[in-house]
Amino acid sequence: MNTIEQQLWDYIDGNLDAAQQKIIQEKINNDVEVNLLYEELLSLNLSFSTLDLEEPSMSFTRNIMESIALEPAPVALKTKVNINIVYGIAGCFVAALLALVGYVLYHSNLQFSSFDTKVNLNIDWNELISPFTIYGFLFVDLVIGLVFLDYLLRKKAAHK
Amino acid sequence: MEQTNTDLMLIERILSGQTDQYSLLVKRHQRFVFTLALRFAKNREDAEEIAQDCFVKAYKALGTFKQTSKFSTWLYTITYTTAMTFLRKKRLDTLSISDDETFIQLENHTSGFMANSYEKKDSYKFLNEAITQLSIDDAAVITLFYQGEQSLEEIGATLGMAPNTIKVKLHRARQRLKEKLQYLLKDEVKELL
Repeated sequence: MNTIEQQLWDYIDGNLDAAQQKIIQEKINNDVEVNLLYEELLSLNLSFSTLDLEEPSMSFTRNIMESIALEPAPVALKTKVNINIVYGIAGCFVAALLALVGYVLYHSNLQFSSFDTKVNLNIDWNELISPFTIYGFLFVDLVIGLVFLDYLLRKKAAHK
Repeated sequence: MEQTNTDLMLIERILSGQTDQYSLLVKRHQRFVFTLALRFAKNREDAEEIAQDCFVKAYKALGTFKQTSKFSTWLYTITYTTAMTFLRKKRLDTLSISDDETFIQLENHTSGFMANSYEKKDSYKFLNEAITQLSIDDAAVITLFYQGEQSLEEIGATLGMAPNTIKVKLHRARQRLKEKLQYLLKDEVKELL
């Protein structure tokens, strides 16, 4: 739908490029009917633009300030996320990785003498994968899952 | 631009603990928010309730306001959703002017109007009345574009629609508004304009 009326509105709103503007300008200048319609739309546009805004009651602002007086003060979202917690979690992961690497190296039979490139990683996996380590692993997963769930719920609550 | 900066400065102050500064934000935007609410609610009491609810919601969520858009655009989005929730709760009749009952009301009004001498100063009154006869979406688009001075993109962000859809809606809303003005004022619409 691209009637002459819509083209004229686009012209009035300034939504046309230079070439299209020129075409419409010529139509306005050469066609009496288009010219009349343009004048009418221009007047309408002027009337719409000069509409006054409505005024709420005198107590409007006071009512709002009273309503929010009991609410907790808003805080910027970025300050709600404590960066130390993020660093703490990252530190735990790094420490766990280092401990695992250290444990593996300690129990391996690594020979550096005569630069032997054969590395004998003689690891007792049965000792490494004990019920304790499995429970520990699952516990860390659970904590991460709860943190993620908390993040999602907070995000959802903020959007409401 | 200065208005936007000042809005952002006020928000910074509120977020840093100066909550009393919120009254300045309310005073600055209350007239437009109330006008927009009035387009949905159709009566002043309900519009005031919507507008107040909107400002309270905006205060509670101020911490989540991303300063990448204008505060006014964000606030109008809240107004729109608050008004929609309010209307859903109240189950208001949102029939357009094409409804028979509405026609009868308009006819009576027009006859009353024709009996009185028309004055130019009443033009706003009739224009406002014509806007209230539009559908909610049409009235919202007209109000946001002309009274809120929002761009098509900003209106799209407020109403959750693409700018091109808003452009078509604006065109149709203006057409309908013109028709309603012509109906309300009959031959004197030219005089009004």
